[in-house]
Amino acid sequence: MLFNSYIFLFGFLPCVLAGWWLLPRKPLRLAFLTGASWFFYAWWDWRYLPVLIGATSVDYVAGLWIFRSEDERRRRLLLAASLTTNIGILAYFKYAGFFLDTLNGIGSGLGLPPDLATLHIVLPIGISFYTFNSMSYTIDIFRRRIEPTRHVLEYTTFVALFPHLIAGPIVRFTDLAGQLRRLTPRLTSRHAALGVFFLACGLVKKLLIADQLHPYVSRLYSNHAHLGLLTGWAAAVGYSLQLYFDFSGYSDMAVGLAWLLGFRFPQNFNSPFKAENISDFWRRWHMSLSSWFRDYLFIPLGGSRLGAKRTVANLVVTMFLAGLWHGAAWTFVVWGLVHGFFLAGHAVLRKAGLTPPWVSVNRLVTFALVSAAFVIFRSPSLRVAGHILGSMIGLNGLDNAAQIDALLPFKFGLLIAVLLAFVNVAPNTWQIRLKPRVWQGMVAGTAAAVAVMTIAQPHPFIYFQF
Amino acid sequence: MSVATRPQPATPPGREQPPVPGGARHVPEGASEQAPSSNQRRFVVGFLGSCLGLLAAILAFNVVIDPFALAGSGIVPTAVESDRSIKLDLLQHLKRGPETLILGSSRSRQAEPAFLRKLTGHSGFNAGVTGGTSADEYVFVRFAADLFPHQKRRYIWFTDVGLAGGGVLPQLAHDPRAHRYLAGGAGFGLGDVKTYLSTDATKASWRVFRKCVLSTCHSQIRYNPDGSLTNQSLRYLPEHAKSLRASVAKEIAGVRTHHETLPQARADLAQPGRFSYFERALAFMSKRGEEPVIVLNPVYPTVLAELNKYGYASRRATLEKVAALHERFRFVFVDAQDIRTWGGNDYDWTNATHINRANMRRLLRYVVAHSDGALR
Repeated sequence: MLFNSYIFLFGFLPCVLAGWWLLPRKPLRLAFLTGASWFFYAWWDWRYLPVLIGATSVDYVAGLWIFRSEDERRRRLLLAASLTTNIGILAYFKYAGFFLDTLNGIGSGLGLPPDLATLHIVLPIGISFYTFNSMSYTIDIFRRRIEPTRHVLEYTTFVALFPHLIAGPIVRFTDLAGQLRRLTPRLTSRHAALGVFFLACGLVKKLLIADQLHPYVSRLYSNHAHLGLLTGWAAAVGYSLQLYFDFSGYSDMAVGLAWLLGFRFPQNFNSPFKAENISDFWRRWHMSLSSWFRDYLFIPLGGSRLGAKRTVANLVVTMFLAGLWHGAAWTFVVWGLVHGFFLAGHAVLRKAGLTPPWVSVNRLVTFALVSAAFVIFRSPSLRVAGHILGSMIGLNGLDNAAQIDALLPFKFGLLIAVLLAFVNVAPNTWQIRLKPRVWQGMVAGTAAAVAVMTIAQPHPFIYFQF
Repeated sequence: MSVATRPQPATPPGREQPPVPGGARHVPEGASEQAPSSNQRRFVVGFLGSCLGLLAAILAFNVVIDPFALAGSGIVPTAVESDRSIKLDLLQHLKRGPETLILGSSRSRQAEPAFLRKLTGHSGFNAGVTGGTSADEYVFVRFAADLFPHQKRRYIWFTDVGLAGGGVLPQLAHDPRAHRYLAGGAGFGLGDVKTYLSTDATKASWRVFRKCVLSTCHSQIRYNPDGSLTNQSLRYLPEHAKSLRASVAKEIAGVRTHHETLPQARADLAQPGRFSYFERALAFMSKRGEEPVIVLNPVYPTVLAELNKYGYASRRATLEKVAALHERFRFVFVDAQDIRTWGGNDYDWTNATHINRANMRRLLRYVVAHSDGALR
């Protein structure tokens, strides 16, 4: 079920809100919310619901046992069991086919017949997100940073809560533990106002901006072999903007839905295109994922405490895995590695005092690098990415009038220009400071209604595939 | 509505911020807490009132105008061409039954029964309608047979790759003469509510409102008694593109974006119910001893070249389906996709998908010559 669908907005959501706020007791309310979230998940394909429930059960029990055990070896074993379950689920559903195909590819390159069977495994939606939610829970208990919840329904609600279940933000138990322990008893006008405001912002970003960019960007990527300098850059910048408005729109909707249920979610985007260097970019883009990798991978690897060489290696390894997290394809692996090298390069340059002092230059360079890397992220293959990156550095020359006419219509060019100005100047959703007035509510409501009118042909959120 | 982010945690003294991926984890604190709750309540009321009010108003407007003829309100003319009812009227008023029936979508509307008569010596009627589907074709076949029951008929049936599909359009289902041949009703369902909440429907309603309510509207398309277009109507056809070149470029871009694999194309054709009306029509004709000539519509040469470049899986799947249908029904199949086979040219087109009258005459000559006597 998509957030940007009639069935969700006019069917599922009103029913869940009514049930959640009308039910009298905490266990009943949590059971209802867990059930509703599982229903939301099963709407896509009920056969994968047991995977979600299984992972939730294992991590809940593992969390309790790790906390109760004083034996360090036993604690480690329990943590390993929990991590193996989650990583095993990911490995089977997300990466098994990829690795077998790669091995077959290597084998055929060596002239061997393809012996390994090709797997056709459907990727359960949201699997990368809920396994990371769960893993952070058991790791934090192991590190004695949090105590496990004794109430199974608090945990099932934490994992399955439908606003973040499919595409994040990756919420940690510390974010929600207190809120689940003391549920908001009634829907306050503040929660409702914040909820509808974020929801409206998300709908507008997704439906009125990202989805409008989609056909132009798709056309450019389909014509990857015929792009010139200008259309190559249009493909890169157009997709960067599409991805930002799509995913930050989703995140805003998730935050808004959480507010409507009385929960506060962490921020996931903080004007990433205002970043002044690549490290700054990763502090602003998909913050819940990047902080997850920082806290559970980069810092345990030694972070930046063990010298320059080790820092570079840690950055590359972390970003390689972050790339692989996005999908089982070489494009994501290379995209992650490219960012690892960007970050390493920036760390070295900064240490040597060679980073430019001008804010606007830094922003421009960072945006250009990020957009170029997103070409690899978006392309169906490295060959296609190579074509587009080649055109961006002028290997295909300038575009002729017919190419520009067909691939870069005036409306698209204008849209890119306006959005570039917007992302560089305007405050993000979390920075907007309005004093709630009825007319502002009417403006937000009208914008949401106009967005809803474009739902007839819904496009799934880009991050649903991860 | 203010939502302030909590300030980022300060970097510990003596330690620079590491060059790591990873943002500070914020939990939003609503600075709007400072705003009075009555203001927040008004904000929510304003939001819900305007959002739901606007959607309700849009839905009501679209249902009243009913541009796609889904609700059956019938207060103003619909935006979609009402040629189904017009052609049923024309057919009903014929004094003698047509010996040849031309079936298909707007691509077949250029076919002139009078020209066909010169080629075959048989009278005809053009039953091609805008967005024609298998259901339309089935209805026209049955309606003509019921009107003139003792007459065997010839058929030229123009189809696209994929042969059948498109479902039953409400305009057809709402016409009582057609309704009796169709399965199921045509009520205004939830799917239609979705359609009438869309921007496309609202734009269509606004066009109808401007033309038909604020001024007097009348259809510019006229038909001769044999179902062919009048000369004057040729200038107003909605399928006329402003520029053939732009239309072709758009079509080619579409091919590059959406090209199917053979399994996908086969799966498309295997959709349940897709061939329901198509096969019913064939079965009805076979039962009456009639042998239709099914013509695969021409494709603009550069578009066809682009399709071939990607393997043109949908054509291959269609030919497989034709072979399967041949085992069950009698019909003649003429593949006219490549204009070189019938002597067409690349400038007698009104857009990338519609040939004009001159090319249609060339095509009809070829079809008659290759119909294995089915049209003689």
